[in-house]
Amino acid sequence: MDKLRNHALEIEPEMYQLAAELQQAKLALDTLNKELLREVSERKLAEDSFREGEEKYRVLLDGIREYAIFMLDPGGKVVTWNAGAERIKGYTSEQIIGKNFSCFFPPEDVKRGRPQEVLRLTAASGQQEEHGIRVRRNGSRFLANIVFTALRDRAGNLLGFSEFSHDLSESKESEAKYRGLLEAAPDAMVVVNQAGAIVLLNVQAEKQFGYNRDELIGQKVKNIIPEGFAERLIADGTRSAAEALAQQIGTGIELIARRKDGSEFPIEIMLSPLESAEGTLVTAAIRDISVRKAAEKHLAQMEGRYRGLLEAAPDAMVVVNQGGAIVLLNVQAEKQFGYSRDELIGQKVKNIIPDGFAERLVADALRSVEEALAQQIGTGIELTGRRKDKSEFPIEIMLSPLESAEGILVTAAVRDITNRKKAEANLLNKVEELNRSNKELGQFANIASHDLQEPLRMVASYTQLLSKRYNGKLDADADQFISFAVDGATHMQRLIQDLLEYSRVGTKGKELVDTSAEGALERSLINLSGAIEETGAQVTHDPLPNVLADETQLVQLFQNLIGNGIKYHKPGEIPRVHISAVRTDAAKWTFSVKDNGLGIDSQYFEKIFGMFQRLHKREEFAGTGIGLAICKKIAELHGGSISVESLAGTGSTFHFALADITSTQ
Amino acid sequence: MPLQVLLVEDSPGDVRLTREAFKDAKVHITLHVVSDGAEAMAFLAREGKHADAPRPDLILLDLNLPKKDGRSVLAEIKGNPSLQTIPVVILTTSSSEEDILKSYLLHANCYITKPVNLDGFLKVVRSIDNFWLSVVKLPPDGRP
Repeated sequence: MDKLRNHALEIEPEMYQLAAELQQAKLALDTLNKELLREVSERKLAEDSFREGEEKYRVLLDGIREYAIFMLDPGGKVVTWNAGAERIKGYTSEQIIGKNFSCFFPPEDVKRGRPQEVLRLTAASGQQEEHGIRVRRNGSRFLANIVFTALRDRAGNLLGFSEFSHDLSESKESEAKYRGLLEAAPDAMVVVNQAGAIVLLNVQAEKQFGYNRDELIGQKVKNIIPEGFAERLIADGTRSAAEALAQQIGTGIELIARRKDGSEFPIEIMLSPLESAEGTLVTAAIRDISVRKAAEKHLAQMEGRYRGLLEAAPDAMVVVNQGGAIVLLNVQAEKQFGYSRDELIGQKVKNIIPDGFAERLVADALRSVEEALAQQIGTGIELTGRRKDKSEFPIEIMLSPLESAEGILVTAAVRDITNRKKAEANLLNKVEELNRSNKELGQFANIASHDLQEPLRMVASYTQLLSKRYNGKLDADADQFISFAVDGATHMQRLIQDLLEYSRVGTKGKELVDTSAEGALERSLINLSGAIEETGAQVTHDPLPNVLADETQLVQLFQNLIGNGIKYHKPGEIPRVHISAVRTDAAKWTFSVKDNGLGIDSQYFEKIFGMFQRLHKREEFAGTGIGLAICKKIAELHGGSISVESLAGTGSTFHFALADITSTQ
Repeated sequence: MPLQVLLVEDSPGDVRLTREAFKDAKVHITLHVVSDGAEAMAFLAREGKHADAPRPDLILLDLNLPKKDGRSVLAEIKGNPSLQTIPVVILTTSSSEEDILKSYLLHANCYITKPVNLDGFLKVVRSIDNFWLSVVKLPPDGRP
């Protein structure tokens, strides 16, 4: 108010001079009036003088346009009117002079006798200042700053009042302040009046809508926010404008905005009321939410896609939040657990997977949720699922994390492994069965050796005794028959012994240990010493390494191969056998047993390793044909295989591989 | 008086074969035969029909016998101070290491696996005769 007064002082110094002059004129007039009765002739002159003074004063006042300045008589009737008053209040002097000043007040103020009260207070105090709403001739309201001054003569009689009023809505200063605030706001700000016209905006609004300020001021807000905003400002049958607005205050409303170029974008607006001289204005903070909307749309799309993927998955899929509640599932999950989707959504996952799943989602003192989860990702975990009918079935779940707006969700692929479990059980049964049958086979070999050999020993011994006692004493046929019986029994004994030996090789599950191949070879040569002496065979060897082997079996392997090399020698030639070993890779040695014997036709390369397979008649070479079958078995028990290369007539070389001692079995 | 040999053997074939082998070796022994473990103990204790049985100089004992088997018989002989000095030769079809070890632990004097053919068998019986009945000095008859 001081400012206004100062302002008034600044811009109107002449006015006070004028007021002083007016006072003088009035004094002059008084003097004249006193003399009027005395001197009628002088009257005209006096009147002229007054008129002259009044004219001067009027012209001066009319020069002031920013202030309404007028005078009231003691009753409140308008006596004078200036151009500023006409401009601000909308009345011409003809229209207002003589009318009571109460018409400048809003009806509600008039009702409670405010105009009279103001005059009374002014008369009492000499001067009264107030901020108040005033009404223009057209009914519109504005906020004004008003100074009333009581005018008295020298005797103190009330002559009337002067009123200085200023339309505050026009105040450059106040607007600048508000504008400063608007410009500082991060959002686009638009101030709209009750008629839906834009009265103020900030530079962000210019940018956002692509207009410059001048283009927008005075424009209908509908042009930039086509729907949903203007409607909110308007009263309807059931509510007043104030009520309509009150409902919107502070609420974020999502609308569509339109730029100058016609393009549209999503916005969120926040409304707040602004009391002003022109009535309640609405300040709208407008935020461009295209980025947020795009993100939301993207998320929705992702969720849509994710849902699609879920449904396409062959397994039951269940998405669970950190609270252990099911937030999403696919149709396979419905089928597998026997629930409908609606029954499962929001339910605790514990209801369908009672143990081991929910626990995995929970952090404990040692690990965070993320860590807890990370430990489970990608690992198949075998658990038990429970259907709606309470029946249980074995499942395997695979977990994977899913970042979402609600935090980390866990997607669990749940596979019914009933069939797999059955297959596993079957397999286990089969293995057991196989073990049992292997054991029985082993037992059979034992039976063959002990129980079958006993009666066979009787047959053999007594046919032999028969042959010994009665050879040549019966006829030639009898001798031959007895001889066949003896041969048959003897051969059968050998077969049974070999069979037993073969089965012993397989059942011996000895651990392979560091074994000197050279030592094993030496032992086998001792066992073969009879045959070596008999044939004059020459057995030579390269230095042999230590290998991982069962020594007894390795001795037998050498013995059988070298024994064969000696046994199947060419007539008239000294058998020569050479044993060597070559490292074929870091962990393996390949042994070769080479002889200069009869050799083997390549068509028999496989057959010779079979059980009781022989290439020669028993009359030529004794034996049951078990030797190489045993060799093959030993080679296989050592994790390798045995092979032969040979040309009939040029000798044979047998190869087998053994693991180096540095390799682990 | 010829040496008394007790053969504990349930197989008549083996009994005959043993008899034939001793005959073949042309040795003069008296071969007493019992066919199970219980009877063997009765023979040694001179019980029942064996009241007049002589004390054997050598026992040929099969392991697999009906009723009381050879292992029990061996244990009882070697656990009996009046019998333990009699040499016991285990003559059996078993070649299992377990049987061999167990027999020696029970103080068998030697362990022989019956050869599967006649020549082998004859050779073994001849060896027994030669070693135990000719080479070896047996303990004096009777108790220590």
